[in-house]
This record gives sequence, structure tokens and C-alpha cells, in this order.
Amino acid sequence: MPETLLSLRGVTKNFAEVEALKRIDLEIHSGEIVGLVGSNGAGKTTLLRLMAGVYTPSNGRVELSNGRPVEEMRQELGVVPESTGLYSRLTAWENIRYHSRMHGVSDSVSWARTEKFAEHLDMKDNLSRHTKGFSRGMRQKTALLRALAHGPNILLLDEPTAGLDITSARTVRALVRQLRDEGGTVIYSTHQLAEAQQVCDRIVIIHNGEIRADGSPGELLSSTGTENLEEAYVSLTLDQARPRQEEADKEGALSSWWRRLFTPRTPVSTREVNEDE
Amino acid sequence: MSEGSGRRIRAIAKKEVVEFARDWRTIIAIIVIPLLMFPLLFILFPVLLESEAAELDALELNVVIQSEDFPLNLLENITAVSLSTSFEALPNVSSLSEPGNDLERVRNGSTDALLRFDSQNETWSYAILHLSTSERSNEARYRLLTTLSEWEDSEVRERITASGLDVNETLDPLRWDGDIAQGDVATSGEQAGMVLSLFIPLVLAIWTYSSAIQPSIDMTAGERERGTLEALLCLPCTRIELLMGKWVAVATITGIGVVLQICGLLFAIGYLASSSFIGLPKLSIASVGLIVLSILLFAVMVVAFELALAMRSHSVKEAGSILAPALMLILFPALFTQVINLDGIEGFWFAIPVVNILLALRELLMNRVITEHVLIWVVSSVVYASLAAYYASRQFSREDIVTSLS
Repeated sequence: MPETLLSLRGVTKNFAEVEALKRIDLEIHSGEIVGLVGSNGAGKTTLLRLMAGVYTPSNGRVELSNGRPVEEMRQELGVVPESTGLYSRLTAWENIRYHSRMHGVSDSVSWARTEKFAEHLDMKDNLSRHTKGFSRGMRQKTALLRALAHGPNILLLDEPTAGLDITSARTVRALVRQLRDEGGTVIYSTHQLAEAQQVCDRIVIIHNGEIRADGSPGELLSSTGTENLEEAYVSLTLDQARPRQEEADKEGALSSWWRRLFTPRTPVSTREVNEDE
Repeated sequence: MSEGSGRRIRAIAKKEVVEFARDWRTIIAIIVIPLLMFPLLFILFPVLLESEAAELDALELNVVIQSEDFPLNLLENITAVSLSTSFEALPNVSSLSEPGNDLERVRNGSTDALLRFDSQNETWSYAILHLSTSERSNEARYRLLTTLSEWEDSEVRERITASGLDVNETLDPLRWDGDIAQGDVATSGEQAGMVLSLFIPLVLAIWTYSSAIQPSIDMTAGERERGTLEALLCLPCTRIELLMGKWVAVATITGIGVVLQICGLLFAIGYLASSSFIGLPKLSIASVGLIVLSILLFAVMVVAFELALAMRSHSVKEAGSILAPALMLILFPALFTQVINLDGIEGFWFAIPVVNILLALRELLMNRVITEHVLIWVVSSVVYASLAAYYASRQFSREDIVTSLS
């Protein structure tokens, strides 16, 4: 039985009145790639942020194998958020070095690891460039290098291939599999089933803040009695998907009222359309 | 604070300063503008004023003189100051100041000014019609007034002499004996402190706040908007370390700006005025130490407050529209503080936020260390700085700062 690296026990996350995640129980084992699959607003990013210790659970616990809360052990993690979060006025290497220093890793160790992975990702020549002009693929690869440079035990990737061209997406997926082969653990959020099936050892389907299924692709097919993962996914998520929950509490009451005051009513028929508006 | 914590704070601060300095617009805003603002204002502005004044002096202006019996020596004086004259009879008006039928020609500029001059036995009455919104007309009036004043002075002297009196004894019976400057027992250092206390606190307060706006927004709402904050929050640093790192960076950038601006200001004053106008204030070690403490406490409060407000904002635009008008919270107290009389000042003034530090700086620049005042402003400033830092830490601990509009 592989070692449990990260566990979520009865985790609930509320944003104001909205329950974004409902009693999540999940264990992440050493050496596996776990795919978090769900539609937009399902709760994947919220779950990843809980695992990264950015969010605190409303109820339940997120802890590492040693029983310590994850927010105290972030040096164990390497995170690539959906937005990549690169500083455009720094070079790729400076971005990587900054995060490594924050992890307490020396520049020489960080450089050695960066150089190794940069070869795989064909990024070595770009390390000295400012990230301002980087394509989406280069940004994603740099963020991946940054997450790997300090030698994390667990890698959290939020939609790592979103917006990437085919070649870049293949390179990223290949690197993820290589990391797993070298004993690393990866949590891989995506809304593409085919990608999850291609990359992940285990797929966790999240819908409306709940885990609807958790298992290998074969186990999901047999438990749902379907012939492919798409059918399995549809059968597990028949209820209508909700909108993104974090958006709900973004605007204050006064701001919301003021905005509505200057927003014309949307017409319900052609007759109501005001051409002069 | 642990060694790791200090290392992370340094790493954050260093990265923020480096990233900020790589934008050339920032260098212009933080270094070039503060350094050159006062020299340009104090040196170029007088040059511009002088050139405009010279242009006005060179103008040949037209005046109409309405008089039945105009003194010849006065006319010579008037033509000597580049005024072309034409004579007319006095109109029938109730008083010389009433424009009557001459209103329109003064308004439409056909004459730059109109002098009415009437003799009554041994005295004269006069009035000048002019258009105060016209520079030519104002200049013509000024030249006429100056000439009339000189002529009057000469008439007075002639009459005194004709009466057998001494002109100087009659006109100036009370005189200052010796050098006026010698009567001031304040030392040059104290005088310098007095002069500096009138503007250094004001510059310090306004520039500290305004130059911290841009970096505060860039390092908080800017990060949030660009989506870089989430990656940062996933790192093994606490929110307090993050706040402290960013505070150090903003305070460094702001400090450089404020120091450069004060250097520029002192240079401009030194260039503009003679060296005796302003010198170095003579300050005790206690005064210098307390000045540094007051600036530090003020910086802690202002920068923490700005970081907190900016971190509350979802976007750069939102943060800008909150922080820019909030300058009033500094500007009004700073202006009020300039007119508060320091002699016999009540202690409560030293407990009012912003006002307390500015008054303290004024006192200290005049080398006045009054224990009661120092105690009040130190305690109240520590409280306000702590409240601002606490408020900032609350904002940095909010979960929703991870969400980005982008």
C-alpha cells in the first residue's frame, strides 16, 4: 500500500452562504497522478487551494502524512496556479529563483534542478529572458519549472495545459508522467476527460462541490456501467452545474446597487430593444 | 523573528524593489521628479516671471490724460516711463472715478488707461480708469501710480523745504538705530530650523503618502489583478511576512523619493537665496533621534494604511480611486498644522493622527524637545502605527485576496 502524502478529512468550504465544497474525504498517495476532473465552478480550484493551504477549511482538516496542517508545510508543495503568476519584469530564472529562495533552497541547487527540467521542456535558452513576451506555453513551462526547482514532494497543477498548443501540451504531459515515474506525486486539475485518462492513474470527478467518483479509469467505467469515460462523467453529473462560487462575494452591496443603477434592463423581446442606447 | 522569516522578508522586499525599479516610468516618478521638482519650480519659475516682466516693461502704452492744468514736470515723468499721452478736457462727472462716457474705450482697449487729474488750489485730485483683466491696462495703471507717487513725494519734500523744515526729521522722526538683523537674538541655526519647520513636515507628509501610492497599488492590487498573488500565497511564508516584505519595499522606494525631494528643495533654496537666507538647523542629538523616530512611525502608519486599502481592492483601478482621494486625510491636517502656533500649544494636538507627527517635526526642527509633547506624540503614534499595521495584517489575511479579476 503506497504511503498517504496528503489527506482531506470531512473538508467543507463555504463562501458566505454558499457551500463550495461539501464534506470532502480524499487521500493522495505517494507516486500517483490524481486527476481532478469537473466543469467550471465544480470546485476543483477551491480544492487545490485548500490542498495548497491558501484557503482554510470551514470544517474538517487538510494535513500531510506527518499530521501537520498543510499551511505549515508548504515547502513540501510545488504549485502551478491557473494564472501561472509570473512577474513580467523578471526573467524566467529570476522568477524561479525567487520562489526557490522563499522555500529556503540555495540558488545553486535550484539552478541545477531548473537546468535539468528546462532541457526536457526545451526552455533552457529562455531562462534569461524577461517573461513579458512569453507565449502561454512558455509561461506555463516556466511556472512548472518554478514549481519543481525546490524539489517538492507533491505537485499541484491547476489546468496546466489550458490554452497550450498541441506540442506544448504534450511536453507538459510527458514531464508529468516522467515525474510520476521518478516517484513524484502530482495532483492534476483539468476539465478535459481525455487528457485525464491519458495522464492520470486515478480520476476524481467533482461536481457542484461534491466528489462523485474516485478511482482508476477502469474502475470508473465498471462502477458506472458505461463504455467510455465521457458517458461515465455524464451519468455522474446529471444535475445542472452551478456558477463559480467564489465570484458570489466579490462585490459589496453598495457597489452592486450602484452598478445596477446604471445598467439598463436587458430586453426580453425585439420590440424592447432600444437602438439609441 | 526567526532567521528563515527574516530571509523571506528580505527576499520579498528585494524582489519588489528590483521589479519596481525595472520600469523606467517608476524611476522618473520616484527619482527624477522628486529631485528636479523644486529646483525647476524655484529656478525656472522666477526666470519665467522675470522674462514676462521684462516683456511688459518694454511695452509702449497709451494713456489719455484728462486735465485742465496738468503739471509739466509730472508729464515729463510720465513720458519717461514709456507712456504715450494724449490730452483731453475733464468730462462732466460727479466724481473722477466715475467712468461716464469713457467706459467703453477703456474696456475695448483703445486706450490702456485713463488718468483724470484736477487741481484745487494747493492740492490735486486724481483717478485712473483701467481694465483689471488686461495686462496692458494693469501695467499702464502701475506705471501711472508709481510716477504719481514719486511726483507726490517730490512735492512733499519741496513744501517741507519751503517751510524751513528738515525733510528727514519731518518725514522720519522715528528711526531704527543700527542693524535690524542684530536685534534678533535667535541663532542662525535656530532661524534655519524655524524656516525649515515651515515646509519640511509638509513636504514629508504629502510626498510620503503620494509616492507610496503607486508601489502600494502595484504590489497588492496589481499582483492580484495580474494573477501573481496566488502563486505567492502558495509559498511557505506567512501573510505577516508577506506584508512586512512589501512594507519594507514600499518604505524603501518612498524613503528614496522623500529624501531626494528634500535634497532638491534644499538645493533650490540654496541656489535661489543668498547663503545667509538658510543654513543648517542646529539640532541636539535628542532632536535628531526623535526626528528619525517620528518619520519612522509616520512611515509605518502611512505605508501600512495604503497597503491595507490597496489590498482590499480587486483591481488597480479600484485601488487608485480609493487611495488618491484618501490623500485628503494627510493634506488637510498637514495644511492646518502649518498655522498652529507652537508657543503655549495645548497637549491634545500631539495626540491627533498625522497632526501629531507634523507638529512634532516642527518642534524638533526648532530644536525644542518638550518631554510632555514627546511622550504624547510617541505613545499616540505608536498606537496609530500599530492600528494601521493590524488593519493591514487583517487585509493581508483575507482569503479572498487570492481571487483575481483576470
